[in-house]
Amino acid sequence: MSEERFSEAGKNLSLFKEKPAKVLLAKPGIDGHDRGILVLARAFRDAGMEVIYAGLLPTPEQVVDTAINEDVDVIALSLLNGAHMTVFKKVADLVKEKGITDISLVGGGTIPEQDKPALEKMGISGNYGPGTPMKTIIDHVMKRAAEARQKKMSGLH
Amino acid sequence: MNIDSIVKGIENGDHLSISRAISLVETNCVNDNVREIISRIYHLTGNAHVIGITGPPGIGKSTLIGRLSGMLHDSGKKVSILAIDASSPFSGGSFLGNRIRMQEALSSRGIFMRSLANRGISGGISRSAWDVVKILDAAGSDVVIVETVGAGQADLEVRNLVDTVIVVLGPGLGDEIQAVKAGIMEIGDIFIVNKIDREGAFLAIKDIEDTLAMSPGKKWHIPVLGLNSLNGEGYQDLLKVLDQRWDYISGDPGFKDGRLLMELRAIVQNTLLSRVEESFAGKNAFSRTISGLSDKTTDPYSAADRIIGKIYLKGD
Ligand SMILES: Nc1nc2c(ncn2[C@@H]2O[C@H](COP(=O)(O)OP(=O)(O)OP(=O)(O)O)[C@@H](O)[C@H]2O)c(=O)[nH]1
Ligand SMILES: [Mg+2]
Repeated sequence: MSEERFSEAGKNLSLFKEKPAKVLLAKPGIDGHDRGILVLARAFRDAGMEVIYAGLLPTPEQVVDTAINEDVDVIALSLLNGAHMTVFKKVADLVKEKGITDISLVGGGTIPEQDKPALEKMGISGNYGPGTPMKTIIDHVMKRAAEARQKKMSGLH
Repeated sequence: MNIDSIVKGIENGDHLSISRAISLVETNCVNDNVREIISRIYHLTGNAHVIGITGPPGIGKSTLIGRLSGMLHDSGKKVSILAIDASSPFSGGSFLGNRIRMQEALSSRGIFMRSLANRGISGGISRSAWDVVKILDAAGSDVVIVETVGAGQADLEVRNLVDTVIVVLGPGLGDEIQAVKAGIMEIGDIFIVNKIDREGAFLAIKDIEDTLAMSPGKKWHIPVLGLNSLNGEGYQDLLKVLDQRWDYISGDPGFKDGRLLMELRAIVQNTLLSRVEESFAGKNAFSRTISGLSDKTTDPYSAADRIIGKIYLKGD
């Protein structure tokens, strides 16, 4: 998927006129850091998104089940403990296993540069580290949300 | 996912299909997809006990639902949950926070739960809630639990949506309880004083019982229960009361008639209203009638009657 397609979709605000972009913020695994994710939750809400934060979702299965129940456009995964290569992958695999192609995956946390291409290949984009400007993150999440929403709508018929 | 597979999935209780159907009805504008889904699943509805949980913010509604749904599930019932949150009037965004309090009970049991943002429709519950409840009902739920925005008057609407309204209050609400009580006392079928581990619980129960005693007796005796939603105290009584309530509802074949009429009226009202909007939308709408009015060949009342006739008949 080219960067151009992303930004085109991001501009299509009418996609979200009836129903705002919906995002699940998840921190799979046992990871005690709550603060950062709550800051993100508030920023996403203020940017007009519907935000679900389910507290600790210990397993990738629970992340994906919650995303299905809530029919979100984006699952935003965050990890600070370095387990992203296994945990993020498990989430991506489960989404694929269930045949879901219209929920986007976005990552964040302390992710070493060399891991990013592999994550991108799994469909997990963004992968921003601490200190990334909020606007960059929000713009990216909105782009991926638009992409998912478009697929949801075109899959109806 | 197309409509066919969504409808089949709902019949089989498939979470992904249920969820997609809810997304379609969630937009508050009734479109052809919504009509088709509802018309195809409607014959499957009517088997669930639909329970509304309402009460002031932070009183413990979500915590209660988590515990109650877990216990109902463990006793062999299929439970589904809809939680309605307020959205920000400024950004349109919202933080759907009810799930946090119930997540543990839900995910270990695979209970379906959906958060819905109430998008600026005054009066609390979004119109789509009626259809969401139908979808959950049709999917084979024995119990559907609806949490509504805890904001006084706005909650009254929940009365039209559910079979049983549980009003949750707490100890030490003081003056607040008086204010809240104004509207809420009339809609409750079951009253709960949550947080009985806190001081003043006994007084609160007594206060509610006294208030209820002042209103005329009804066929259904309204119980007042004390609960501790953190440790489960009192929950066996709640389960018993819910069983009694279901027996009561099942014993009255006309129980839902009033609500069916309310819903029908709301749909007719909304449909006509949107047809009126549509008819008057164009810049040149009713240009002939308008010139008739300026020529004085007709008058506003007669012209309106003719237009109303057309709007009414359209689409039949
Ligand atoms: N002490 C005590 N605390 C409780 C009890 N039930 C719930 N709580 C706490 O009350 C707080 C609010 O609980 P929620 O379940 O989120 O309340 P709510 O009514 O759903 O809140 P809103 O959805 O925001 O209106 C949480 O911190 C709960 O842990 C109880 O029985 N006793
Ligand atoms: Mg709540």
